[in-house]
Amino acid sequence: MSWETVIGLEVHVQLSTKTKLFSGASTGFGAEPNTQVDLVDLGLPGALPVVNKEAFYKAIRFGLATKAEINQVSMFDRKNYFYPDLPKGYQITQMEKPIVGMGSITIDVDGKEKLINITRAHLEEDAGKSIHDLFDGETGVDLNRAGTPLLEIVSEPEISNAKEAVAYFKAIHQLVTFLDICDGNMAQGSMRCDVNVSIKKAEDKELGTRAEIKNINSFKFIEKAINFEIARQIKLLEKGESVVQETRLYDSIKNETRSMRSKEAANDYRYFPEPDLLPVVILDKELEEIIEGLPELPKEKEKRFIDEHNLEVSEARILSSSKAMAELFEKASEKTKDSNLVAKWLVGDISALLNKDNISIEESKLSLENFVKLIERITDNTISGKIAKSLLEDVWETGNDVDNLIQEKGLVQIQDESVLEEIATKVIQSNEDQVAAYKSGKDRIFGFFVGQVMKETQGKANPKSVNDILKKLLG
Amino acid sequence: MDKETVATISYLARLRFDEDNKEKITKDLENIIEFVDQLESADTSDIEPLANPLEKTAKTRSDEITAENRKETFLENAPDSNEDYFLVPRVVE
Amino acid sequence: MSIQFKTIKELSLMLEKKDISNHELIEETFNLVEKYDKLNAFITLNKEKALEKAKALDNKSSDLALSGIPIAQKDLFVTKNLRTTCGSNILSNFIPPYSATVIENLESSGCISIGKTNMDEFAMGSSNETSFFGKVNNPWGANLVPGGSSGGSAAAVAAGIVPAATGTDTGGSIRQPASLCGITGIKPTYGRISRWGMIAFASSLDQAGPMARTVEDCAILMNQMCSHDSKDTTSLDEAIPDFTKNLDKEIKGKKIGIVKEFDLSKLDKNVVKVFEESKKHYESLGVEFIEVSLPNISLSVPTYYVVAPAECSSNLSRFDGVKYGKRCENPKDLEDLYIRSRSEGFGDEVKRRILIGAYVLSAGFYDAYYKKAQQVRRLIKNDFDDAFKKVDLIMTPTTRGPAFEAGSMSDPIEMYLEDLFTVPANLAGLPGISIPSGYVDNKPLGLQLIGNSLQEEQLLNVAHNFQKTTDWHLKTPDMEIKS
Repeated sequence: MSWETVIGLEVHVQLSTKTKLFSGASTGFGAEPNTQVDLVDLGLPGALPVVNKEAFYKAIRFGLATKAEINQVSMFDRKNYFYPDLPKGYQITQMEKPIVGMGSITIDVDGKEKLINITRAHLEEDAGKSIHDLFDGETGVDLNRAGTPLLEIVSEPEISNAKEAVAYFKAIHQLVTFLDICDGNMAQGSMRCDVNVSIKKAEDKELGTRAEIKNINSFKFIEKAINFEIARQIKLLEKGESVVQETRLYDSIKNETRSMRSKEAANDYRYFPEPDLLPVVILDKELEEIIEGLPELPKEKEKRFIDEHNLEVSEARILSSSKAMAELFEKASEKTKDSNLVAKWLVGDISALLNKDNISIEESKLSLENFVKLIERITDNTISGKIAKSLLEDVWETGNDVDNLIQEKGLVQIQDESVLEEIATKVIQSNEDQVAAYKSGKDRIFGFFVGQVMKETQGKANPKSVNDILKKLLG
Repeated sequence: MDKETVATISYLARLRFDEDNKEKITKDLENIIEFVDQLESADTSDIEPLANPLEKTAKTRSDEITAENRKETFLENAPDSNEDYFLVPRVVE
Repeated sequence: MSIQFKTIKELSLMLEKKDISNHELIEETFNLVEKYDKLNAFITLNKEKALEKAKALDNKSSDLALSGIPIAQKDLFVTKNLRTTCGSNILSNFIPPYSATVIENLESSGCISIGKTNMDEFAMGSSNETSFFGKVNNPWGANLVPGGSSGGSAAAVAAGIVPAATGTDTGGSIRQPASLCGITGIKPTYGRISRWGMIAFASSLDQAGPMARTVEDCAILMNQMCSHDSKDTTSLDEAIPDFTKNLDKEIKGKKIGIVKEFDLSKLDKNVVKVFEESKKHYESLGVEFIEVSLPNISLSVPTYYVVAPAECSSNLSRFDGVKYGKRCENPKDLEDLYIRSRSEGFGDEVKRRILIGAYVLSAGFYDAYYKKAQQVRRLIKNDFDDAFKKVDLIMTPTTRGPAFEAGSMSDPIEMYLEDLFTVPANLAGLPGISIPSGYVDNKPLGLQLIGNSLQEEQLLNVAHNFQKTTDWHLKTPDMEIKS
């Protein structure tokens, strides 16, 4: 039997506004518990929500970037349920008329592109945080996060496997950071997602029963959770059992999903129009301003890099993978006037280091200034490429100034040909056997002499000069 | 409207009635629902629901911090709290 | 010098002429509160602060519009550091950290809040019998209800303790008690007065307003209560007129509509007689009466009893024993905490409405009830729009009859029909006023005028002309209830 997986993602993106969706309390991360709570956020009787327009502008940027319809009249609804970190007993969300309608995004999986449709993106308020394990027999509630604006991005069920799901999540992450509407900080929960997974027989038209895995906040866990869930569901189906429609939780330690078994599933949210908020209208003028202010998007950048800098597609893709990377590439290229060398280093050594440390470029210690210096010292022949490699590792670890390091460690390339000639002569004199071999026609041994000279100079010799001198001396 | 429905909506609303009261509340709700069933008589095809008599659009605010830290006052007013958190009986997830 | 039954205007003059000091006025007010303690009009008093403020006013002259005027605040408005219960057990220990815009507006215009008035629990009721703090007695008869939900406010004004009080009106909660207590009360256009700090019952219907002895005092209070408030985005931005400016304007030639669909023949003949006499009186002032049709008006009460419970069931979810208010003793787990705190904290009528609301919003019933009611709500509003093309105002009795005996109305639906004449204005967001218009068995009865949206000035003008030429509003109860 061949099975097909159908996946839909609901991505919650925390919008990077200064204040909450309905109150003037700060959304800053990491504050002391319950210090960023306004009357509305506490759900005090008589307190009323006031819409933060900036959240709408940010949501619209996303809509425009995904070629979605923008609902210039959108409305809020209430979703009713009880939970200690939901102070009003309802969440204000957009059910009937979301700000962003149907759009789409292109994802890359192993070099192949696929278009995923996005059903909608709507604004809603986040809940507070419940802390279950800090106090004896009690749960603590911190309302700092309550009311923080979220953009919930709902995909169509068009994702076929875990890899695609990760690619989709990454594409959203890339887009929202490019658009400057979310800080993209996964560790702080700025992006989380719920994954709907269902399995059906390849020939069936109808979708299978789905399970929803709640609240995953890393690329790695999405992949693992989905793969576990697919295997679990197929196993059930193959045994002739059926999948239960339910909410599940991914346990990253045990690498498994398990049923939440809460009554939440049986809940009836009783959505209805939020009577405290009138419809929010976006004027044509406002929309035009947002369109004008839209930054260049990843795909557009990729294309431009290829055209302007004559780069390979694979190179351009890496350079446009994040806003910070693209910025570093463009600024360094402008300063050094050597975009090919800059690209070579970013795509090669620097990407390797990023992968090794599993960090993003903005998290690294490499500053634009230092990177530019590194490139310039290569182009002005102060250091060799090989020295540059080890120097980069040093800079990567310490963040120290490139020029200082060159000075301190005496890495300046030896330009003086008479000095090189002296060293080369010494190498030839002390390796008579190899000289004889070379002279008898073993050309390949030439490299040995180059290596020896480099060793003597601790890599500081200009390889081209060494070649020329050795050729001359060996005749 | 039957006892089971009343039980379901009571749970949704987190309310409980003792046995004596259940009969009465069920009867009351039944009567009220029957009373509002009069609405059926109105022809509302193509009528847009009216959620708010104003029929205006929302006034919004700019993204500026205006709230102050009132943690102490808020926590003091709570039925159960410590110096940092509102407290409820442990929730098992 | 007695201050009982004085109007704002009269008290202002007394203060101005120094016939009485600010402190004496407030002290005397609290004497009256004590004297008529049996009315049970107040839940919480603000004696110390009120006397303090009065003293300060004596020491420093003030030219504020309502300087030194004692006022009673419905216990539905939150008051900073002064207990606010909304007539409910669940908030019986609630000390708000902020004040409602209405309270701030009145206090900054010089008013002195003397206390919080009793009310039906969360404003749900028409007799003030649902208050956790006990029923309020109507000054016009020992066992009569004062109406509701602003029953404490109405009783305090009717007893002459204070010249004015604040009220709120979701389905008639200002106008109906005003009618039953023989005072004047106006519910302005929805959005005229900020809802910030008003504990919500049904957000799309709730509106605050003044209750006083005269139309003129109501106009004076409106001037202070209305403001543009960025904290309530459902409040209006429209210019706020000086509501006292056109009170005296002649009303000759005004067209007043009489609603064809309201079959008054079903009412007590004495009630009808009072209404007919009011009509005649207005005719004598040059008003022309025209019959208007509001075809869907009979569905107002059913519509209201879907919309209001739906909104209230959600609005009252915040009272869960977690952040403020009362929590049950020793909850064994979270569910127990929720269920017991709420079941012990709310009274029967509130529970009934929460359940109705949960029901009409629940999956499978939303379209048949909630959506349907919102559609009918539009039909009702359209009916009014059509009617106001023909007339300036619409006139109805405020209530089906005068005050009834406490405990005499046990059927919830009978009680709901108390709102028959008042509910339509809330559904359509229109301003409505109730003024004393006569007596049946020595019990006062009100007359309701409904205006088009934002037409409060006209409403007040037409109502004031009635009071200028009649003396129903000057009658005072002969109170049997004494301490």
